[in-house]
Parts: sequence; structure tokens; C-alpha cells
Amino acid sequence: MHILICEHSIDGIFSGIYEAYARRYGHRNTELALSCNLNSYQLFCEYEEIPVAEAKSRKVSNTLRARFGSEVYSHLCEAISAYESPSARRRSIDKAEAVYKTVVLGLSLADGSKILDQLGNPYVNRVFQLSRSTFNEAHHLLGFLRFSELENGILFARIHPKNDVLALLADHFTDRLPLENFIIYDQVRKIAAVHKSGSNYMLAEVPNGADDYAKHYSDQELEYRRLWLAFFHSIAVEARKNLHLQGQNLPKRFRPDMVEFHSDSSDHPASLKL
Amino acid sequence: MQITQEMSLIEKLHILTDAAKYDVACTSSGVDRGGNGKSMGNCLAPGVCHSFSSDGRCISLLKILFTNECIFNCSYCLNNCNNDVKRASFTPEEICTLTMEFYRRNYIEGLFLSSGILISPNYTMDLIYQTLYRLRHVHHFNGYIHVKAIPGADPVLVEQTGFLADRMSINLELPTSESLHRLAPYKSRKTILKPMRQIQNRIQQNKYALLEQNRGTLCRTVGHETGEVSSARNPQAPRFVPAGQSTQMIIGATPENDFQVMSVAEGLYQNFGLKRVFYSAFVNVTNNTNLPMLPQGPPLLREHRLYQADWLLRYYHFQVSELLSEERPDFNIYLDPKCDWALRHLECFPVEINQAEYRTLLRVPGIGYKSAQRILQARKHTALTFADLKKIGVVLKRALYFITCGGKMMYRTKLEEDYICRNLIGDRSQIPREIRQSSYQQLSLFDLGHV
Repeated sequence: MHILICEHSIDGIFSGIYEAYARRYGHRNTELALSCNLNSYQLFCEYEEIPVAEAKSRKVSNTLRARFGSEVYSHLCEAISAYESPSARRRSIDKAEAVYKTVVLGLSLADGSKILDQLGNPYVNRVFQLSRSTFNEAHHLLGFLRFSELENGILFARIHPKNDVLALLADHFTDRLPLENFIIYDQVRKIAAVHKSGSNYMLAEVPNGADDYAKHYSDQELEYRRLWLAFFHSIAVEARKNLHLQGQNLPKRFRPDMVEFHSDSSDHPASLKL
Repeated sequence: MQITQEMSLIEKLHILTDAAKYDVACTSSGVDRGGNGKSMGNCLAPGVCHSFSSDGRCISLLKILFTNECIFNCSYCLNNCNNDVKRASFTPEEICTLTMEFYRRNYIEGLFLSSGILISPNYTMDLIYQTLYRLRHVHHFNGYIHVKAIPGADPVLVEQTGFLADRMSINLELPTSESLHRLAPYKSRKTILKPMRQIQNRIQQNKYALLEQNRGTLCRTVGHETGEVSSARNPQAPRFVPAGQSTQMIIGATPENDFQVMSVAEGLYQNFGLKRVFYSAFVNVTNNTNLPMLPQGPPLLREHRLYQADWLLRYYHFQVSELLSEERPDFNIYLDPKCDWALRHLECFPVEINQAEYRTLLRVPGIGYKSAQRILQARKHTALTFADLKKIGVVLKRALYFITCGGKMMYRTKLEEDYICRNLIGDRSQIPREIRQSSYQQLSLFDLGHV
């Protein structure tokens, strides 16, 4: 058995898939594994590290897009971006391996766009679960993300997502707010999506954090937060009060980044802090 | 005498939100519209929830009244003209600014504008139209708008407003016209159903017109270019209420039973092409003598069962006559309507997962319409096992009594009504936790009357 070790990123896994084909060991004799998952080595296996190679990764992504269609392709990318808890990682199929074997199966089909229907296949099923987890969190954040207007008119949002959803969010907001200058900052991964009015967004690494940058809000910002809080508290029907249901629909982990939960006590509309 | 006084925006927002909150619809779904690069906003078909208030309901739209002044005296409504509440009105510009500023901060998905009736239905409808016009054409707002049509307003105004909105709704308020007459003397079935029919017809015409237009554009595109069909729809073509219309009924203010309520809903879906019917558990806010006092709180469990049945109508091809009848006019409070139906039709079960057709799968408790679709796809390639079903998302603790995989049931179990019923009731998810906790008292009380 040949085990190819690749980096935990879209490019890393795609480079791994490229090499898995290029080496011609046969797919039955090849496995992919993420470097971060490698705790112990198995007997009678050859291990090889695969470096990230952008040109190879691009070839793979072009092939996948052409053969599977953009929908399946984006599901694969979402699966790779998904977060796994350490225990889930130990219990289930390695992510790189799941994507690799799904790709192999998909390319053997006449119509690759149907590959994700084969939920009975354990590799496909794993990809499906992972991609669903990313997609769901991204969909939550489309609503839960909050922009604040800075002194210079730029809209700034901070998020702490489990999965790597920044690109999905930036796509959405570029379409929605084409004329705004905005920044979405993923504080967990220290990456920001920066959008300039009338153009496409860019991803930028922010190793030192964005705290200094996002300190000063515009004059109006406080006013609109106050109005939003007034709305948020007035819209609740007292006779139906149900904090459990609220907790189920809006998990606590999203709340630190949402203005309406900043004061931390949802019963006191008066307490307003920036 | 009216004392006018300058009121701050925040005070108005407070009053007019408070006055709008008993309207349940807050969905932003039903229309997919990409951004156009020039104005602010887009729409996603599944809708987006932006927050959840302390009652656990989704906040998606800025749900406000234009004014809470009203010439009508509907006894269930907080804003009726005999009620002593603080009154306020927005100006169109205030609504536009609030919507735009909230939208760009991603607080909301759009605007939900309703209103009390100021001076006359026409006057009010015109104010609403002016506001939407301003929002769309002065502020270039391209996001979601849900607007109420005012019963009794001129059809021309309703039509003009419809071209600016994504969804329109007219509340049916109460399931029967007698109840409506008793509690809302200024409203009638006629003034409610007439605009509903008008909107339905207009939506249809608009769809055909767009189809015709698309066909024209498609031919041209294919003829001229490389054969690749770009998104051919002309973005300038006006669309009439593209997300469809909805309505709402108040549950528990009047003596109608579930069978009557669901039959009305079914009629609305079939004859008026409605997208959604909403059910609102009655909250007594006016203490009017016409209305029941509800010391145990609003009938939330009944509302929950009605919504479950509503989904069975819209997604699971059930008919009301299968779920309820004159003899059994109310839903079982212990079991959801689908389990209840399955228990009374054990002759249809067990169902073989690897062979049953889609509509049969849909009727199995524990299998949702998405799981059913996935089963159909997945079983083409391999025979499914119970472990696969679990991964696909089937709720086995409910489904296991009704299905076989490869001819075998999951455990040894009896296909017997009492046995399955006992086990299903033991499953605590049958009655949502929040209802169990918040109003257990209510449960045991209204059990006695119904079962």
C-alpha cells in the first residue's frame, strides 16, 4: 500500500489526487492521508509526502469542473473546507481519502454530475456529510453575520466559523452589496475578504489581527445599533417567550459576533455597549 | 382631540414593531434574484434567517406597520380603533432609511410592510405604494419585500404595488365567515378573497408573459451567439409578486375545529394557488368580551400540529380527508399527524426501502421528503441497509416499525397498533420540548376535551 500524505487545503488535496493518478500504483493500492491526521504509521505501507503544486492542483480542478459540473465541484471544495473535531477525525474515513476515492468513482461514471447521489458508498457519504456541514454553517452566517460601519465608511464584519466559509460568504456579499466597501474577517484563520466598491473581492492573510483597524465606528453606527436593538426587543411576543427554542435556532457560539447579543442580557434593551 | 407631538424615530419603531409582531409570516423565501451590480440587494430562494427573538421565532424581515392608527374595530387586534394605545406613523422616507441602513449591516433580509387603516383602505394602500416605489426607485433597493394588501383597496393600487413587491399577503384572519363577521365586522370574506383572486390571476398572466418573452430572447440568443444560452431573462421585465402570496389564520379565538381549519387551508392551496398558509396561536391582547380568555397561554401545541399537517399537504401529497374527518375533527395531541395516519393504516406497512416508490416512502413516519429523494438516488447503485438509512438522515426510531431493508425489519417488532403507539409516544420528540416545558398544564387540560 502506498500512502500519499498531503496538506490540509484544497490545493494540497488536489495535488495529492494528481500524484495518485500520475504514479500509477493503481487506485486500490493507493491511499491519501492528511498530514495533520498522521499519528502513527502502519506496517507494510510506503509513505510519501506530496508537496503542494499549484499547477497540478489547477489541472485537477479543471478536470473535475469539466467532468462533474460546477455544483458537484463546489460540494467537493466545501467538503475539503469542513471542520472536523479530533474525535470525529479519528473515527471516520480520512477526508483526503474520501475526496480521492469519490473522484475516482466519479470519473469512472459516464455522467460524473450524479456522483454525489451514491450515498450508499462510504466515501461519497463522507464527502456529502462534510460538505453539508460547511454549507449549513455558511448558510447560517449569511444571516448571522453583522457589519459595522467604520469611521471611513467601510463595513466591517468579524466571524468565528468552525468551517472555512469565508469565500462562500464573500461571494454572497459581493453579489448583494456591489457598491459597498466591506471587509469580512475570519478571526479563527486570520484571513480577511476585502471588497472594493464595484470590483471583485480578494482574500488576504492578516497575521497580526484586525483589532487596531476596526476600533473606530462612524457616528451613525451607534444610532442604528440602538434602533436595531429596539426592533429586536419589540418584535418578540411575550406570551410565547421560549429561550430554549431561540437557543436551538441560534446557537450560542454565533452570538459574540452579533450586536443584538452584545449586552448579553436580552431583557435589557437599555444596556448598550459598543 | 388629537395631540400631535414630535416622536423620535426609535419611539416610532418601538410602537410600530410592537403593533406588527402578531403577524406570523416572516419568511424571505420563494424568489432567487441575483444582484445587478448597480443597486443594493439580492434574494435567495430558500430565504435567510438573520436572528431569532426571545420567543424563538425567526427574524428575517424588518416587520413593521406603516401606522397603527386604524378605523376598523376587529376585536382580536391590538390596534383596533376602540383600543387605547399610543399611536404613531412613519413617513415613507423613514421606512426607506431604516430598511437600507439595516440591510447594509446585514441585520435583515428585507422589508415586511403592513399597516393599520388610516382614513380609508385606498388612502392607506396608496401610502404603502408610495413607500415601496421610493424604496425601489429612489434608494434602488433590490432585496426582498413582503407587503400586505389592504382589504377593500382599489384593484389598481393592489396591482401597482404587486409589481414592486416579492410577496403579497392578505390575511384571512378567521377560518369561517361567521367568525369573521362576529370579530371583524368591517371585513368580509368578499373583500379578502377578491384581492386574493386578483393577485393569483395577475401572477399567472405575468408568468405566461415572461415565458413568451423568454422564448423570444432564447431564439435570438441561440441564433446569434455560439449556441450557449446565457441567462436570457431580461432583468428589466417587471415581475408581479414573484414569491407568490400567503395568508394567515388565527387559531383558538373562535370555535372552529382542526378539520375546518385544514379544509380551508387545502381550499386556499388548491383554488387560490397560495404559497403558504400561516397559523397563529391566538394571544389575547385586547381582553375583549367577545374573545376567550386563555389562562394557560396561547394554544401552541395545536398550532404546531396544524403546521405539521400543513407540510403533509404541501410536500407529502396528503389530503385533509385522509387526516381528519367529521367524526375525528381534531388532531391527536400525543402523536404527530403522520404517525397518527400510519397507525390507522397499518395495512400499508411495512414498506420495503429498496423497492417502494417515492410517494409510498413519503408516507413512512421518520422519512422526510429529502431523505426520500436521497433513498431513491442511492438505491440505484447499491441495496440500502439500516446503517445507510441512518446516514441519509432517516429517523429510525420512528421509521423502524414501518420499514424493511432487504426484506428484514431492524428488530423483531410487532406490526400492531397498540404496541407501536406505546413505543412512539415514549419518544419524547413527539411533543416539542419547549411546549412540554412551557405549558404542560395546558396539555393535560385540553386533552380531556379532545381525545
